[in-house]
Amino acid sequence: MKILGWIFLIISWGALLGLTIFCFVKVFSKKELK
Amino acid sequence: MAKVRDSWGSRLGIIMAVAGSAIGLGNFLRFPAKVASNGGGAFMIPYFVSLFLLGIPLMWIEWTLGRYGGGFEHGTAPGIFHSIWQKNRFIKYFGVIGIFGPLVIFIYYTYIESWTLAYSFFSLMGKYAKLTDQAAMQSFLRGFQGLENNPYFHGLGLAYLFFLITFVLNIWVIYYGIKGGIEKLCKWAMPLLFICGFMLLLRVLTLGTPDLTKPAWNVLNGFGFLWNPDFSALKSAKVWLEAAGQIFFTLSVGIGVILTYASYLSKGDDVVLSGLTAASTNEIAEVILGGSIVIPAAFVFFGPVEIQSIARSGVFNLGFVTTPLVLNRLPLPEILGFLWFFLLFLAGITSSISLAQPAVAFLEDEFDIDRKKAVWIFAVISFILCQPAIFFLKNGVVDELDFWGGTFFLVVFATIETILFAWVFGMEKAWDEIHKGADMQVPRVYKFIIKYITPLFLFLIIGAWFWQEWLPIIFLKNVSAKNLPFIITTRIGLILVFLILAILVKLAWKRKRSIG
Repeated sequence: MKILGWIFLIISWGALLGLTIFCFVKVFSKKELK
Repeated sequence: MAKVRDSWGSRLGIIMAVAGSAIGLGNFLRFPAKVASNGGGAFMIPYFVSLFLLGIPLMWIEWTLGRYGGGFEHGTAPGIFHSIWQKNRFIKYFGVIGIFGPLVIFIYYTYIESWTLAYSFFSLMGKYAKLTDQAAMQSFLRGFQGLENNPYFHGLGLAYLFFLITFVLNIWVIYYGIKGGIEKLCKWAMPLLFICGFMLLLRVLTLGTPDLTKPAWNVLNGFGFLWNPDFSALKSAKVWLEAAGQIFFTLSVGIGVILTYASYLSKGDDVVLSGLTAASTNEIAEVILGGSIVIPAAFVFFGPVEIQSIARSGVFNLGFVTTPLVLNRLPLPEILGFLWFFLLFLAGITSSISLAQPAVAFLEDEFDIDRKKAVWIFAVISFILCQPAIFFLKNGVVDELDFWGGTFFLVVFATIETILFAWVFGMEKAWDEIHKGADMQVPRVYKFIIKYITPLFLFLIIGAWFWQEWLPIIFLKNVSAKNLPFIITTRIGLILVFLILAILVKLAWKRKRSIG
């Protein structure tokens, strides 16, 4: 795998993992359904 | 006494249900094939652009419209569209697409889902354990589907048995309602799906170089095949279109199921964060799990030349032929094969139950039919409609159903929703509606994106697909003379189903007027 391949993989995985963790942390810290 | 609508039991429940609806076979089979044949890592540039300009805005639109319609006790598009544009007496008929589309997808998807259950069983039993090449595995699949008689299968009997089991399981879940059926299933099925996925991912990551005489056939080069970017691909309009299509189909937008699911929320429940969480969960399943199992593993065993044709061999070939062959070459193939097909089955069932819900909700909300009775009506009708997909698979009936229910009407429906939301409802009102009870602020740039960019993007997709792909299908250009009667009959059947649904909408509104 080339360096650029690694860069694309890490950025893609990192961005999605970051977004998902951010969302779930917020979901669990906020209010439940009414 | 006013009827009490069903509701979600928890916030995680609806997020898992929407994510479950979105995560399907496409995440694990269609995505890696598209990446491999459209520029590798470079494909992720148009993919992420489409996610942020098309997928996420559509997700928010559907969640908001669904919750808004639920406030008027409408759980399906005819009623929701009518609530948005009350002065227009025809708009509810455009909403028929939001029941028709999921119903059409349900009648062939359930059958395909049943293959994954059957193959989970075959894996555990070692029924295909001795098959070592693509031709034998393809023959096994064709025998199972009833497309040919061979030493592995005689007729459709076993496939039909697994279809019956899958169909009954679906109806059983829906029978118990939103909280007691759908939410309960998704809350255990989704974590289980991720556990199966991560176990397979771990196995692929530890493949190393199984054949030391071929040192280049290793897992890192397998990932390289998928991720090394080819920037020249970005100059191709086709690659951008493929990325937009992948985002569109992966998120379950434009079908009508998110509208229905969100209609069971209360007015003050957040849709911004919940919608984004469901979308990002789907993306994890697609990019991290989907992109790391099939293609890298196949590369290790088939090498850099054969993988090119494997990546282009189609979704069914990748899932039911190549992957089991790869897993057969590893220790504990029965367990790994089971994990793979059970993962696909979980992805399938959490999607198919969502496809059934709009039709059931329509009967409940617009005709005041008791849920259990509505599920029985749905079960009988959908069971009859499933039969052509099973018995005439070889005549192209499933492809025809997939084109109308799973492609054409999806994009048309998403365009109607977006225009209704941003232009008829009005962007100011829509913006306020999105943020009711919101746990986070949508970046203001999305006001512009939802009003101008998303509809424009959808028009571009419709235009391009219409010229490039749809016209030959609509005018039956590539249909053989043998299959023509089956395709025409399917089309007439689809028109009839659509008309019956439109008449039901008319009757529902007439009934509501008469009872005031």
